[in-house]
Amino acid sequence: MATRKKVLLKVIILGDSSVGKTSLMNQYVNKKFTNQYKATIGADFLTKEVMVDDRIVTMQIWDTAGQERFQSLGVAFYRGADCCVLVFDVTSPGSFKSLDGWRDEFLIQASPSDPDHFPFVVLGNKVDLDNRAVSTKRAQQWCQSKNGLPYFETSAKEAVNVEQAFKTIARNALAQESDVELYNEFPDQIKLDGGSTDNRSSGSDNCAC
Amino acid sequence: MDSNNTSKKFKEQLIKNVKKEVKQIMEEAVTRKFVHEESGSITSLCAAVEACLSQGLRRRALGLFKTSSTTALLHKMAKNFEPASIISQKVQEMENTDPNKPITLRRDSMASPRICPCILNRRGSLTWLLFNNEKSVVVSPFRRSSNLAPTQICTCTLNRRSSLTWLLFGNDNDSCATRAASVNSTLTSSITLPNVHPPPLTKKNSAGSGLGPTSITLPKYLWIRLALFEKLLAVIIDHLVQNCSKYYEKDSLVADPDYGSILSSLLVGPCALDYSRTKSHDQFWTDPPADELVQRHRISSGYHTSPPCRTPINYRRNLHATSNDDNQRQTPISAKDYVESLHQNNRVTLLYGKNNVLVLPKDVTEPMAGYLSLHQTASSLIIKWTPNQLMNCHSPGTNQNDHPEIDASDKSQYWDYAMNVNVDEIVYVHCHQQGNDNGGTIVLVAQDGVQQPPIHFPQGGHLLAFLTCLENGLLPHGQLDPPLWPQRGKGKVFPKLRRKGRSQIQDISNDLSSNTEESRDYVFQIISKARHEEFLSRGEEILDSKIWSMPSAANNMLNRVRGHLESSSTNSSTSTSSSLDPVASPLLINIQNTSKDTGDSLQILCETMKKQIISRAFYGWLAYCRHLTTVRTHLSGLVNTVIIDSSDAETGLTKEKWYSFKSDSNLVNDDTKLEIFRLTYFGGVQHDIRKEVWPFLLGHYKFGSTVEEQNAVDSHCKQEYETTMSEWMAVEAIIRQKDRETMAANIAKLSSESTSGGDAPPPTPNNSKVLSQELSNDVFEDNINFSSDEDNPPVVDDTQLEHNADFCDNPTNQTNTKKHIENIPKEIDCDKKSLSSDEGLGKDEVTEKDMTIKKNTSEDTSLYCPTSVIVTTNISQEKTVDNPNDENDKIDSKDNNKTSKLAVDENEGVGGSNHEQRSACISPASSQGGIYPVELVENFGLNVHRIDKDVQRCDRNYPYFTLENLDKLRNIICTYVWDHLEMGYMQGMCDLVAPLLVILDDETLSYSCFCLLMERMSANFPHSGGAMDTHFANMRSLVQILDSEMFELMHENGDFTHFYFCYRWFLLDFKRELLYDDVFTVWETIWAAKEMSSSHFVLFFALALVETYRDIILANHMDFTDIIKFFNEMAEHHDAKTVLSLARNLVLQLQTLIENK
Repeated sequence: MATRKKVLLKVIILGDSSVGKTSLMNQYVNKKFTNQYKATIGADFLTKEVMVDDRIVTMQIWDTAGQERFQSLGVAFYRGADCCVLVFDVTSPGSFKSLDGWRDEFLIQASPSDPDHFPFVVLGNKVDLDNRAVSTKRAQQWCQSKNGLPYFETSAKEAVNVEQAFKTIARNALAQESDVELYNEFPDQIKLDGGSTDNRSSGSDNCAC
Repeated sequence: MDSNNTSKKFKEQLIKNVKKEVKQIMEEAVTRKFVHEESGSITSLCAAVEACLSQGLRRRALGLFKTSSTTALLHKMAKNFEPASIISQKVQEMENTDPNKPITLRRDSMASPRICPCILNRRGSLTWLLFNNEKSVVVSPFRRSSNLAPTQICTCTLNRRSSLTWLLFGNDNDSCATRAASVNSTLTSSITLPNVHPPPLTKKNSAGSGLGPTSITLPKYLWIRLALFEKLLAVIIDHLVQNCSKYYEKDSLVADPDYGSILSSLLVGPCALDYSRTKSHDQFWTDPPADELVQRHRISSGYHTSPPCRTPINYRRNLHATSNDDNQRQTPISAKDYVESLHQNNRVTLLYGKNNVLVLPKDVTEPMAGYLSLHQTASSLIIKWTPNQLMNCHSPGTNQNDHPEIDASDKSQYWDYAMNVNVDEIVYVHCHQQGNDNGGTIVLVAQDGVQQPPIHFPQGGHLLAFLTCLENGLLPHGQLDPPLWPQRGKGKVFPKLRRKGRSQIQDISNDLSSNTEESRDYVFQIISKARHEEFLSRGEEILDSKIWSMPSAANNMLNRVRGHLESSSTNSSTSTSSSLDPVASPLLINIQNTSKDTGDSLQILCETMKKQIISRAFYGWLAYCRHLTTVRTHLSGLVNTVIIDSSDAETGLTKEKWYSFKSDSNLVNDDTKLEIFRLTYFGGVQHDIRKEVWPFLLGHYKFGSTVEEQNAVDSHCKQEYETTMSEWMAVEAIIRQKDRETMAANIAKLSSESTSGGDAPPPTPNNSKVLSQELSNDVFEDNINFSSDEDNPPVVDDTQLEHNADFCDNPTNQTNTKKHIENIPKEIDCDKKSLSSDEGLGKDEVTEKDMTIKKNTSEDTSLYCPTSVIVTTNISQEKTVDNPNDENDKIDSKDNNKTSKLAVDENEGVGGSNHEQRSACISPASSQGGIYPVELVENFGLNVHRIDKDVQRCDRNYPYFTLENLDKLRNIICTYVWDHLEMGYMQGMCDLVAPLLVILDDETLSYSCFCLLMERMSANFPHSGGAMDTHFANMRSLVQILDSEMFELMHENGDFTHFYFCYRWFLLDFKRELLYDDVFTVWETIWAAKEMSSSHFVLFFALALVETYRDIILANHMDFTDIIKFFNEMAEHHDAKTVLSLARNLVLQLQTLIENK
């Protein structure tokens, strides 16, 4: 572990549309908030270097589209995730209710080796708004029922709790990383082989050179 | 500026400029990690600030005569203001000693000593600055040479009083006086400067503040720039404002009570940002942002052609290179490959670099000097040599003195001379040294015997240094044989090599020609361990043939280099064999024709080579044929077979042309259809007439249709649109009411939860059940538990739930949560806004609509027998125009889940009675009502909520989208979704409607055009057609066949040939990738392309985007994440015109390729 020069932590942010995924990511990475974001199409990511317990790690934070129908794309982006952030909007009960669905979706698509202990972190965003509709208690209860997921109430707009939340995310992701490190090599290689032979055969069909 | 217009308006304009630039820079900071110091927005901001500061400056009083700069002001301030003195000091330092500082270009490898860095503005124009001594600045913009004799460079001396003096210098800067034509220029002449230096500076100015007089203040921005970077600018300006009486006229901007403080406070934001120049080492793993990559690329790749322009050439070369069966080894010669000659970057390590290395390329009589470098990439070592002409193309002034005959535009030929050799392919390195200190020559010989032009090193041990680096680079998988020095690391190496070489030479060919004394020649074999083991396993025969290829290669070389000697010991496997001597010396024997054995061997060798050559040629031809077949079978479907002539179409469809088409009978003739498409395809549509043309392009109006027909189409569309709209608006009213209740219930629940405090009971089974059931993300399910009659204030907790159930007189409901009773309050205040937009709609259809709704709903109710039914009576607004507050909708609902029988009669009774009630006061024709199945309401409600969220966020920064127009946008999408409920709303639709609405500015027309657009686009969305996968597959084929190098990269780097990075491109027809103006043009072209060249034009545009940046992508070995990041960052920064013309070219190329039978 110590010899590894580079630790890349892949973090996926999921949640209903307009719960503030893009804003959270940008608040954390760029320390900026703007209300100019559009609905995310496809996927984007930002990277940030952070110190986690005296180690420098690079967080690669993936922002995804909120509409669930776009999750079919997920596989390409979810693969190799070290942590998944589930975001809901505390003013929107619907977005809270969707958390289960997002969690399941992620576990299916990313198929982590140990789904029961895969690190999720739950963020209740937009606490700066007045018309709150999901209580802290309710959210905590849900998190408790899922093996005690860490829960943070954040405001991307006012930078409330964002730093703390992502610190936990980084730490949990790092723990996950070191856990899977031993057998990390194998599944990847098998996947790669499968992919390349597949493509090679199709390649020979198409290309004469 | 002296004759300044001090009117308020002017000041306002100045401040507005600053605001604009500040906004720009802040936005840039939000989307990027930091603002790059070279960012064009900084320059623009500085220019704007400078303009403000110059206005009303008390030059006379301060002794700053005739100056357009505020630098002097800074120096003044520095005397009594600390931050200013810091900056002032820095400015002076920079001007005096460190010309490299403000600007970056790595020039460690540059040959010309005087050249200092360039400033790269937003458009990528380069301006060279030569800082000679204290205050003189040499501005030598690129392309300068075309105006002046190449031996002259233009110098601008900025003397103490900041008046500009332009001098034309001879080559020797120090003897400038002689031929100098000195123009003592005042401010005005500095403004005319752009004429003297046409392209770059003009561009630069326009990219700046747009205020003429600041144009030549490049070095003058320096202090503002520095102050900004040091985060002191706001403080300094604030100081100026505080002490304005000292520095400024009374009526100046800075002295203005409002503007002054506005200016200083505006700059607080930018001063809080982080500015970064280049990556430092601790950011090693942070990949550079896209614009930095592009900038680097521009700097490095020879500015005379911008990358997109060069790519097609490059690209064509690639196309043809496929005729070579081995195009991987034929490294394409392009600027990109030499970019890294200048940089050591993350992925490529620079092992060795030496300038003024002479190479004699083919077809050139005299050796050319160039920069030789050795690079280590992850997979291999690469030797590059770049002619000085290319290295110095930014600085024609100095450069062209050496080759005055060469025009800047002719540089391209040098790319053919440049070398780019992969060491993997090199088998032998021949070294020749003449005399003791005369430098040395290296010839690289490839596996196939082809030799690179000789590389001549200047004297001074460079040859050995190079070999040392090469050997180091080969480790651990390869080595030089013989090794350079047997005991590595022990003292000096050169003598050892000499001695070793010499001794071997003497051993082998002691009696040979006498000049061996002078020349010390070696042949090194490059052995990769993998290859080495392979040889061993293959046995003697192959081994021999491999070995034999060496002398043959050397043989070629002999023609050039006389008296060649070899000292080549072979690798361990051969050295054990008895053939050591023949192997080592066949060449010599060949020269003397003495040995029969080796003569035979040579003959065999020659035959082998002949076969190889023939077979190579054959395979090359075969590969080309196959390639053509592949292209034809896989790609022919993508383009039309007929090639349309582009002549005279570049101007596009102008207003004049359009009206001339219309002139005959005031209708656009069917005959002119093709011409209109042709003009649109090649040149776009003039903006003014887009509103008229687009409906034709999209097929809303038929070509050749009369005005009457068009009106008929319009009114028909309007009718349909309004009918649909009133339908969904009725449902929307229900949805809104439900929302309100939900919200109330939620808040109530929240407060009850919070009041119940810590000892609140754990969730009851019931509650948790609800929770788990509510996964469907449904807004109504909250109602189930918490909604109540308006008379009953919603009190919600777990006990309330039971109470609620009791209220329904059916305790079994409690377990049957899905079929809860819904109590919809009778009076619903309709949302004012939505209804008011309903007002303008045709009321004539109401009755008809009313009937259809009833009919539909009765059908629906039979379908949804077991579920609840909502009956609404929607009162339309005919009477309520006067008093919108009276707008009421009556919505009744009853649940009939107690019995399986539908309570339709009862509901209709209620609805009917309401209807009658209303009818008494409102015209019956205006009323509408309907029965809506809960599923429908829920489904549409879900969609409406999503639409609302996305419409709000759609292009908020684009001025067109005021609240009113956003409402139009929303209506269009809602109407479309209502008609396509099975498809539902999909994120991205907003982006597709927005440009249509902007152009057409008419709700109905936009709706109709959107429907037509969606005929093609809807299949791109997930779950509604596999078009996206088809796009990806087509992209894969296109790239694989047309740019195999790129495909290889995509394949190697984690395989992203799934092309997901193009997802947004295809989903939105590049709407998010381009600025609005460009979107219009690209969309038109896509529509016209269907008729003109290809119905898959989007593919070619996507390919053109990829190809535009191919050099950058390849040079940085981008993987999937890199490329996603790159293109996301490049969004709205593309040069759409160039990409578009490249896309058209690609179509044409493919058409030509397919046609050429």
